Amino acid sequence: MAVGSVRVGSAVSRPGLRVREWLDHERFLGPAFVTPALVLIVLLVAYPFAMALYFATSNAFIGRPSHFIGIRNFVALWQSDSFRQTFQNAFVFTGASVALKLVLGITLALLLNQQLWFKRLIRGAVLLPWVIPTALSTLGWWWMFNSLYSVVNWSGIALGVMDPPGPNWLGQKYYAMTAVVTVNIWRGLPFFAITILAGLVSIPKELYEAAEADGAGPVARFWYVTLPMLKPVLAIVVLFSTIFTFSDFNIVYVLTHGGPINSTHLFATLARQVGLESGQIGQGAAISLYLFPVLVLVVWAQLKFVRRQVY
Amino acid sequence: MEPMNRRHFLTATGAGLAGVLAAGVPPARGQQREISYLCWNNFAPNSDKKLAEIGQRFTKDSGIKIKIDHIAHPQQAAKYASEVQSQAGHDLIEMRMHFPWLYETQLVDVSDLVAEVEKKYGKVLASAQETANVKGVWRAVPQYHTFFVAAYREDLFKKASLKVPDTWEDLYTVGKELKKMGHPVGIPISQNYDSISTAGPVLWSFGGMEVDKDGKTVRINSPATEQTVEWYKKMFRDCMEPEVLSWTDASNNDTLNAGKAGWIHNPVSAYIVARNRKLVTADGINHHRSLAGPHGRHETDVPRHIGIWKFSKNVEPAKEWIRYLLGKREVFDEYIMSGDAFNLPVYASLLDHPVLKTDPKFAALKQEGVQFHCYGWPAPGSDKIQRITNEFILPNMIAKAVTGTPTKEAITWAEKEMKRIISE
Repeated sequence: MAVGSVRVGSAVSRPGLRVREWLDHERFLGPAFVTPALVLIVLLVAYPFAMALYFATSNAFIGRPSHFIGIRNFVALWQSDSFRQTFQNAFVFTGASVALKLVLGITLALLLNQQLWFKRLIRGAVLLPWVIPTALSTLGWWWMFNSLYSVVNWSGIALGVMDPPGPNWLGQKYYAMTAVVTVNIWRGLPFFAITILAGLVSIPKELYEAAEADGAGPVARFWYVTLPMLKPVLAIVVLFSTIFTFSDFNIVYVLTHGGPINSTHLFATLARQVGLESGQIGQGAAISLYLFPVLVLVVWAQLKFVRRQVY
Repeated sequence: MEPMNRRHFLTATGAGLAGVLAAGVPPARGQQREISYLCWNNFAPNSDKKLAEIGQRFTKDSGIKIKIDHIAHPQQAAKYASEVQSQAGHDLIEMRMHFPWLYETQLVDVSDLVAEVEKKYGKVLASAQETANVKGVWRAVPQYHTFFVAAYREDLFKKASLKVPDTWEDLYTVGKELKKMGHPVGIPISQNYDSISTAGPVLWSFGGMEVDKDGKTVRINSPATEQTVEWYKKMFRDCMEPEVLSWTDASNNDTLNAGKAGWIHNPVSAYIVARNRKLVTADGINHHRSLAGPHGRHETDVPRHIGIWKFSKNVEPAKEWIRYLLGKREVFDEYIMSGDAFNLPVYASLLDHPVLKTDPKFAALKQEGVQFHCYGWPAPGSDKIQRITNEFILPNMIAKAVTGTPTKEAITWAEKEMKRIISE
């Protein structure tokens, strides 16, 4: 009986022990942890990216055989007025949105860091624009800017700050760009504010006490303590926001559909129009990848900056 | 009969399973005949309800189960592209504009079905043939079309003793009065299909075209286009509001139904919505025949067809559905009647359909003397013509001109963009 139980016990525990022994070795444990993530990256990032590269360098048309054409799609796109306009729009949209989100995000984070009544409720409410599905909230904005029912114009006229009928928000190119930037800021501000707030909370109080003891006022404290301590957080937030804003789709698609006269088209909306609606998958993919080298440079520069700040 | 023991049973079922797995097709007795149909969210919602009802009856009568899905029309192209790329999805798809040309290589030849339907209802209308018959092969079966007509506030016209316009120039004359009355003309000049649906007929009526019949020669830079642009400029200045530059496909309907616009160019959907929702403007709205220019009376027509993907494993049951929906007169009539004259049949002997008599305000839909064409006419349908449409070059050319770009410069811009697409 005792012999039998020893035999059974050893038969069960041996493989278990062996696995445990393997996991004690870094050369097994490391790959075991990394493999699931690697598989996901290959399936969800590397494979689509490789396909996009393949499409961008081919004359792929939906449902037809295609062949390699090198960089002809990229050259052809540059001949297109709507593409050059889109290129310009992307920089204006991203530049204006990210800059304003940064300034407003820091301001909001500083306010949220104060001792406020209903602090938790307010912090939760601030996150709402980030939580609501973008397509849905942008539809709300579309109603607000709509020429027939614009509550923005109605309020402006009622308050006497606008002359009737008010700005043609979605029909005039500068106003239309202002409208899409405004919605992007409204949507992205919580991300900036909450992330910066997390950075603010982690700044040691002693630094402020020391600065105050040295006679630093609120502006000096912000400039010489808060801002330097926030730099790594700001760099990461700006990096993420730049990428997300460059590749924005929903806001423009719902609000202006790229108009008027292509003045609000972004890479994603134009790629959809050319690649999916017109069937030119090759050119659509080329539009999507046009900015890839620029974004790689942005990521590289900002990550380098962050590392320098951290170490 | 020899009783089956366990060994026999395992041998027989094992061999059968191996056969099924090797063939990749279940045995006929085990096959559940099931098809799926993807179509748009019809602007006449009752039509979709009726389609579901007909689908249930089809299942009962034929034993073929049908699953009908709907999608908003702006999403159709993207959805179809993904189905083609993945070679999976629905068996049948509803197609509009030049979609059959776009997906030519992916669509089953349905010439046999079209011949059967034509035998019953007469020849297919030219606009439907232009869009569904690709290089002599029917790639989709035409079902109905939705075309533009003039919708106007008859009550306002009577009040101000305005003459119902017959030409685009007449519209300018009454449009000035309407704007003074606070009820401007509503023609979109923005990146939507309604904008092209008006710009096309105006251009054709002045004798212009985007691309010639050969489908290769760009003809937009012409005196006729200049006349068109000049007409739009004076209309924008004297008869319309700048808001038309931001409009979506639904905006002209909204502005008419809200009591603002006095005249719009649109299918009858605005009136149908106003009538069905009992809006105060409904009684005052009426329709009149499409307007003419020096080169005739033309109208945009967007026929809708049903196609079958080549990757479908249910081509025959899919054809049975088309025969049931379009080939049975009583079923097709029932379907058309449910659309409140928004969807009208595209077959010669059905043009004077009873649905036109359901409301006196549908009388103008007879459109006598009007020539119907799809976008891009007279160029034959192609992926390039579809791309010129999708890039909204025509309305953008007009939008540029009405907002300050010199006429000649705007036309040269459009010519350059069209030539680029044609040459690619």
